[in-house]
Amino acid sequence: MTPVEAHTEGNGAAPAAAGAPMLELRSIDVNYGRVRALRGVSLTVNEGEIVALIGSNGAGKTTTLRTISGLNRPSRGEVRLRGVPIHQLGAERIARMGVAHAPEGRRLFPRMTVRENLEMGAYARTDRAGVRESFERVFTLFPRLKERTSQLAGSLSGGEQQMVAIGRAYMSNPQILLLDEPSLGLAPILVDTIFEVIREINARGGTILLIEQNALLALKTASRGYVLETGNIALSGPAQDLLTSPDVQRAYLGM
Amino acid sequence: MNRLLRAFFRPTQKITATGVYTILVIAAAAMVLLGWFLPWFVGPFSEGVGFSPQDAISTAPTGIGTILLYVTGVCMLIVLLSPFVEFTLRARHRALDVRWDMVRAAASVVGLVLTVVVWILVRWINEEPLFGALPNGITTDSAVWLEMYGFGLAAITYGLKRLVLERPNVMFVVGVLPFGVLLPLMFHQAPAFVLWATQSLAIYMLLGLGLNVVVGFAGLLDLGYAAFFAIGGYACASLASPIHGVHISLWMLIFIGAAIAATFGAILGAPTLRLRGDYLAIVTLGFGEIIPDLATNNVFGLTGGPNGISGIDKPVVGSVNFGFNPQWFYWSLLFFSVVVVIMLLNMQRARIGRAWVALREDEVAAAATGINTTTTKLLAFAIGASVSGLAGAFYGAIVSIVSPDDFQFAVSIAVLSIIVLGGIGNISGVILGAFVLTFVIFWALPNLQEWSATLGHTFNVPAISGIDFTRYTFILYGAALIIMMLFRPAGLLPSRARKVELESGIESESLAAVQGRA
Ligand SMILES: Nc1ncnc2c1ncn2[C@@H]1O[C@H](COP(=O)(O)OP(=O)(O)OP(=O)(O)O)[C@@H](O)[C@H]1O
Ligand SMILES: [Mg+2]
Repeated sequence: MTPVEAHTEGNGAAPAAAGAPMLELRSIDVNYGRVRALRGVSLTVNEGEIVALIGSNGAGKTTTLRTISGLNRPSRGEVRLRGVPIHQLGAERIARMGVAHAPEGRRLFPRMTVRENLEMGAYARTDRAGVRESFERVFTLFPRLKERTSQLAGSLSGGEQQMVAIGRAYMSNPQILLLDEPSLGLAPILVDTIFEVIREINARGGTILLIEQNALLALKTASRGYVLETGNIALSGPAQDLLTSPDVQRAYLGM
Repeated sequence: MNRLLRAFFRPTQKITATGVYTILVIAAAAMVLLGWFLPWFVGPFSEGVGFSPQDAISTAPTGIGTILLYVTGVCMLIVLLSPFVEFTLRARHRALDVRWDMVRAAASVVGLVLTVVVWILVRWINEEPLFGALPNGITTDSAVWLEMYGFGLAAITYGLKRLVLERPNVMFVVGVLPFGVLLPLMFHQAPAFVLWATQSLAIYMLLGLGLNVVVGFAGLLDLGYAAFFAIGGYACASLASPIHGVHISLWMLIFIGAAIAATFGAILGAPTLRLRGDYLAIVTLGFGEIIPDLATNNVFGLTGGPNGISGIDKPVVGSVNFGFNPQWFYWSLLFFSVVVVIMLLNMQRARIGRAWVALREDEVAAAATGINTTTTKLLAFAIGASVSGLAGAFYGAIVSIVSPDDFQFAVSIAVLSIIVLGGIGNISGVILGAFVLTFVIFWALPNLQEWSATLGHTFNVPAISGIDFTRYTFILYGAALIIMMLFRPAGLLPSRARKVELESGIESESLAAVQGRA
């Protein structure tokens, strides 16, 4: 690698040097009927950073992501994308504005092929050249998918499905990528692969909000983190600090 | 992009290719067989056998006709039986490798040529002109036409098997479309059959194509589709009959009817947007019940109450008044069906088609990829309904009267059966399903009585003539449906999605619901 390349790359990636706020949640409340799943959740994701959102089962992580991408409506508070309020918009509008959501449980289109699933990710795009480029990028990120382009998504292994889910989200050339438990149910080696890809996407300038049960891995990957406890943000800060915080270590790292 | 599209459709073609091949083989065999035996089946049974070309020739003094006849019969047997022979030989002697397809193709060509020769001979012996009906030939023309078409189709299917497997859709059209176009001529001696093809087959085919958009493409189970048929039918009837003194031409009305039905499709679709599967089915069922009831109650004085609207105008084109001869209706419907099929095929391949499939597969994921689920669903309802509006406009013009009875629940169910039987989501499957089901419901079952009477009379077995089939019609209908679904659970020509589902157990939420209900 020539020094010049290293220099430009260093400029582009610089995960620690956070850019302008990409996504902001301000005092979000979300109710399911009479059950309040989120109360006063505020969080910020800056351009070019990976932010981890950790918490135990039922803490409201998935609800937070669904609220951002418009699948749930907040009863109070606002969501802003680059300063523009989006919490009143429909899911498809939000998706078109550049929020890509790889949902919990992957939710692929099971009877479409891998290629068709990826194409659906680019559904809202009209720049054909860009789409073709994104295809190539996805296949470089996940070489395994290239061999399986015409296999039906429903017949893929869990790990491959997760790759398609991330690839599909990535195909929309998003401003921000929302990943809901990408490591769920995967063997350790596959988890490593997936997280490498997440870092790779970030190194190319991608902004990512990551939900994880695997708090250690998430915090090691992210630059900042939030800890959600029964609908409240209990802790937040640089990932390093959270990793060393005794509360987090006890509750989420099993130390 | 072209490559993308091709990649998108390759798997579909692979699966339907053998399906189309099988269908063509079966259709050819059925026509050859039916042509041979048609004189026994149609026509007043008191006359029995006696009008077939076989008899005409075997009574000819030369005797050459008899020989030709036997050779034709042998050709028929080769075409019909060789697949079984091939199958048994394959199993036992692997070495015995005959090029069976070529044998069958050759036999078909010989059969075709001989049938034509026989045809000319019959005319010559009877001192008749080459074209036009024989004086005493009630079904002769149809029989010979069927025989010729069957042999021709067999020759193409077997002789060009490679082509059929490579371009199944093109070959399906090549094989079936001429039959569709020629049908009124082939059966000009059996006007009831042409009427069936117009009023039952063509209308139900359109209805099937429309409902397939909603149920097959978008995965929204609609049990009240007849409501839109009724809306189209009544709208056009009231604009082309003495009831309100308005007389608009049918050619305008089909668009008006389609537009009105589409509007109602969207209106009735709107409240169901949040419903899925079983719930959606129940609500649409409600619509299907309400609309004919409104018509019965003469809503706003528009619908003529229980007697409906009668005296609907017959269309006129130039000097041709369509009148009560169905053949012009038939050709017009055929034309519009082709237009509709082309439009739907294009939609299926376009962005909206993908959006429908995504919606059917996973609504949440579809929304998350930027699909507007509301407009996508409403478009499915509106486009599906517009096709039934077109059908409704024609239906009124053909039968001259629309009444609430024409749009009952049974119609919705028959249309749904057509698409399930033919292959949900696959347009060729729906066409085939319409053919098979309307043949069973509206032709075979009503005629069963007469056929059995003829059969019993011919072979002098009074027990056969004595069966009263009218009492068993619905049992037979049900049994036919069950048998067909047992043998081809994914439909006659399954769409890729259904096929995959049954083979690998991949299933999506919404379609699971469709299956459960359908
Ligand atoms: N559709 C729903 N209706 C009612 N309650 C819901 C619904 N979805 C989630 N909840 C409740 O909201 C709370 C937060 O759920 P959420 O799915 O966001 O948790 P999570 O942090 O993603 O958990 P996990 O790690 O187990 O996925 C839970 O108590 C859950 O029971
Ligand atoms: Mg969750």
